[in-house]
Amino acid sequence: MAAEPLADEGTSYAVVEQEPPEILGRNLISASYLLAGATAFFFIAFVFAYFYLRSLNNAGMWKPHGVDASIGWGTAVVACYALSALLVRFSLGERRALRRSQWRLKGLAALLFGVVGLVLQVIDWTQESFGPADGGFASVYFGWTAFLFLFVLCTLLWLEMSVAMSFRYRKTDGPPPAGHASGDPHRRAPDISDPLSLIRAELVGLSFYWTFLAGIAVVSWVILYLI
Amino acid sequence: MTEAAAPPPRPLWRRLLGFNLLTAVLLGIGGWYLGWFGAHAIGAESLEYFEDTDYNELSVYLAYLGGVIGFLVGLGFLNYPIARLRGYPPSLREKETHGWTRYFSLCTDHKVVGIQYLWGIGLFFFIGGLNAMLIRTEQLSPHSQSFPMGTYLTLVGMHGTMMMGMMTSGILGPFANYLVPIMIGARRMAFPRIEALTFWLLMAAGAILTTTIFFGGFPTGWTGYAPLQTQANPGMDNYILFFALVGVSMTLLGLNMIATILTMRAPGLTWTRLPIFVWGVLSTAVLMVLAAPVLIAVLSMGALDRTAQTSFFNAAAGGSSYLYQNLFWVFGHPEVYILALPGFAIVLELLPVFARKPLWGYRLAVAGLLGVSLLSWFVWQHHLFVSGMNGDLRPFYMLSTELISIPTGFTFLCGMMTLWRGRISFTVPMLFCLAWFFNFLIGGLSGVFLSDTPSDVTTHGSFFSMAHFHYTIMGGLVFTFFAAIYYWVPKMTGWELHEGLAKIHFWTMFIFFNSTFAPLLAAGFLGQARRAPVYTGNLKFLNDWVSISAFLLGISMLIFLFNLVWSLAFVKQPAEANPWGSRSIEFQLPSPVPVHNFDRIPVFSNDPYGYGEGPAPSYVVPAGAPAGRE
Repeated sequence: MAAEPLADEGTSYAVVEQEPPEILGRNLISASYLLAGATAFFFIAFVFAYFYLRSLNNAGMWKPHGVDASIGWGTAVVACYALSALLVRFSLGERRALRRSQWRLKGLAALLFGVVGLVLQVIDWTQESFGPADGGFASVYFGWTAFLFLFVLCTLLWLEMSVAMSFRYRKTDGPPPAGHASGDPHRRAPDISDPLSLIRAELVGLSFYWTFLAGIAVVSWVILYLI
Repeated sequence: MTEAAAPPPRPLWRRLLGFNLLTAVLLGIGGWYLGWFGAHAIGAESLEYFEDTDYNELSVYLAYLGGVIGFLVGLGFLNYPIARLRGYPPSLREKETHGWTRYFSLCTDHKVVGIQYLWGIGLFFFIGGLNAMLIRTEQLSPHSQSFPMGTYLTLVGMHGTMMMGMMTSGILGPFANYLVPIMIGARRMAFPRIEALTFWLLMAAGAILTTTIFFGGFPTGWTGYAPLQTQANPGMDNYILFFALVGVSMTLLGLNMIATILTMRAPGLTWTRLPIFVWGVLSTAVLMVLAAPVLIAVLSMGALDRTAQTSFFNAAAGGSSYLYQNLFWVFGHPEVYILALPGFAIVLELLPVFARKPLWGYRLAVAGLLGVSLLSWFVWQHHLFVSGMNGDLRPFYMLSTELISIPTGFTFLCGMMTLWRGRISFTVPMLFCLAWFFNFLIGGLSGVFLSDTPSDVTTHGSFFSMAHFHYTIMGGLVFTFFAAIYYWVPKMTGWELHEGLAKIHFWTMFIFFNSTFAPLLAAGFLGQARRAPVYTGNLKFLNDWVSISAFLLGISMLIFLFNLVWSLAFVKQPAEANPWGSRSIEFQLPSPVPVHNFDRIPVFSNDPYGYGEGPAPSYVVPAGAPAGRE
C-alpha cells in the first residue's frame, strides 16, 4: 500500500466541507452524558449543604417556625418538568419512526410544559411565606430551586432549537439551501453534510439530559418538600 | 482538491467594526455600566428582599455579568445560538482562514485557540508573577513597610487566585487544545465554538480579578474562606465571579476534551496506542468536569449570601462556615491534581523522545494517571485537620492522602526506567523534565508532613505548606509548562526559539526556584505564618535570601520573555518539521500545521514510542483514502 504525506502546506477549506453528520452526532450524545455528570456534581453540593446544615442546626435556625415550602406549588412545578421530559422521550420515538409531524407536536407540547413549569416556579417563589434570609433551609431552598430553574431554562432553549429547525425545514427533503448555516461566509459549502439529519442525534442527547434533569427535580421535590 | 474562494478584501474600518476583540471590549464596558446602573436604578430598589443588601454588592455582580455578556456579544458568540433558535441548522467552523485577525476574535480552529491560550495565560501568569515580586518586596522587612495590610493581603490573594485559576488551564488550554486533535488523527475538537468560548471566558475572568483593586481587593487568599468572605468588601465579589467563570471554563474545556477523545479517534488508534499525553489530558479532564461544578456551586452560595442575604455560611443564621471549607476542598484537592497531572503526562511524553527508548511501563503509567485522578476525590478533609473536624475521621484522610503517593510513584518509576540506559540528549525540554523529577520529589516528600495529622498541626498555615505547594505546582506544573513550550512552540509557530537563551533561562530558573522555596520550608518550620506581612527578627536573613532569589527568579522569566519575543518577532528562524526526531504524529506534519491538519484521516498501527524499532512512523495514509471519515 502506497502512503501519501499526511498533509500539504496548502490544505484548504474544501478538504473538510461536507463532514459526515455521524461524527457530530456522536459528539452530541457523549456530551449529553458528560453534561449530566457535571450537573450531578453541581447539585450534589446543594444536597450536601442541605444535610450538613440540617444536622448542625446552628443557632436553631435551620428551619425556624413558619418556614415550610409549599408542597402544592412544588408538586406542580416538578410535575410539569417531568411531563415535559417524558414528552421529549416520546417525541424521540416518533422521530425514530419517521413520524415527523408527530414529533414536532410532542416537541412543542414538551416546550410548553417546560415553560409552564418555569412560570409556576416563579409564582411559587412569590407565594412562599419565607424569604432567602430566613435560616439554613430557606437558603438551600432558594439556591437550589433558582439554579434548577436556570438549568431547565437552558435545556428548554436546546429543545427549542431542535423544534425550530424541524419546523423551518418541514417541507425540505434534502439538505438545507446553501448559506443556511451560521459561520464563515467564505466557505463554499456547508461544513456538515445533511445537517438536518442531526435532529435525531440532538434528540437522543437532549432526551437523556432532560430526563436526567427531571430526575434531579424529583429528588429536589423529595428533599425540599417532602422530608 | 478544490481551493476555497479567496475572501474579498474589506476596508479597515469594516474589519474594526466587526465581531472582534475591539468590539468586545467596547461592548463589555457598555454592558458593565448597564449592569451597574440597572442594579442601582431598578433591581435593588424594587425588590423587598434586597432592602438590607449593600447595593454596591448587587451592582458589582450585575455590572460584571453585563460586562461579560457584552464582551461575548462583541466577539460574536451569540450569533450562532440565535441562528439556531431561529431554526437554522448546526455548523462547525468560523473564521478559520482570516489571517492574523482570527487571533483576536472567535475562531474555531483548535490550533488558533491553542495559541490564543498560550499568550492569554502567559499574560496573566506575568501579572501573577509581578504580584509575587511585590509580596517579596514587602517581606524584605520583618515589619510592615511597603504596603498597607489590606493591600498586602490583596496582593497575596491575587497572586494565589490568579495562578491557581489561570494555570488550571495552563497545559490543557494551549497544548491539549492544539495537540489532542492532531494526536488522535482528527481535524477539530468535538465542539469548536465551545473550545473558543472557554478561552474568552478565561480572559474575561482574568480582567475581573485584576480589577478587584478598584473595589478594595479581598483579604482571604486564594481559598476565599467564609465567614471572612461574607464580611469582606466588594472586591470579594470579583474573586467569586473570577473563580466561578474559571469553573465554567474548566467544565466546558474538560467536557470538550473527553468528548473529543472518546468519539474522534482515527482508525487504528486503540486505547493502548493513545499517546500518554492524551491519557494525561483525559484523566485531568475527568477531574475538571466533575470538580469544577462543585466550585461553581459553592461560589454561587457565597454570592447569594452576599447579595440575597441567604445564610449558607453564616452560623448565627443557620449556616456554617465549615460548609464552605468542605465544599471548597471537594473541588480544591482535585484541583491540585488538575494542575499536576498534565505535568506528569508531559514528562512521560517527552522522556522517550530524548532518551531514544520506548516509554517503559505504558500501562503502569496510565494506571498511575487514572489512580491519582480517582484517589484525589478521597483526600479533601486533610485540609481541615486543624479546623475542628471530627477526630475519628483523621486516620482515614491521613491514609488516603498517603495512598496517593503510590500511583504518583508509578509515574516516577516509569519515567526513571525510561531513562535507564537511554541515549539521553540534554536538550532544553529534557532539562526541564529532569528538573521536574527533583522538584516534585521535594514537593512530594514535604507533602508527607502535611498529610500526617501530628506534623500538620505544627506546619499548617505556615510558610512550610506554602513552600510545599510551590514545589509541587511551580516545580511540577510550571517547569513542565516550559518543557512543553520549548518542545512544541517551534511546531506551533514554525519558528525556532534561541537555544542559548533557553538554557540560560533553564539554569537560572532551576537554581533560583530552589533557592527561593527551599529556605521557605525552613522558615515555615521556624514558625513564619502565611499571608502575614510581619515576622520575627530572627527570620530576616532567611527572608532576605528568599526575596533576592525570588527577584532573580523573576529575571529568569524576563530572559524567557525576551527569548520568546526576540525569536518569534525578530529573528524568525524557520523550524524544521521534526527538530527532535520524534515519532509522534504532530511532528510528521509541516510546520506550522495546515489549517485542517490532515489531507486524509490517518490510520494508526502502533503507539508513538517505538524508538529503536525502525525509522518509519507508525501511521500511514493509504493512497486514495477518502477525505472524510466514512
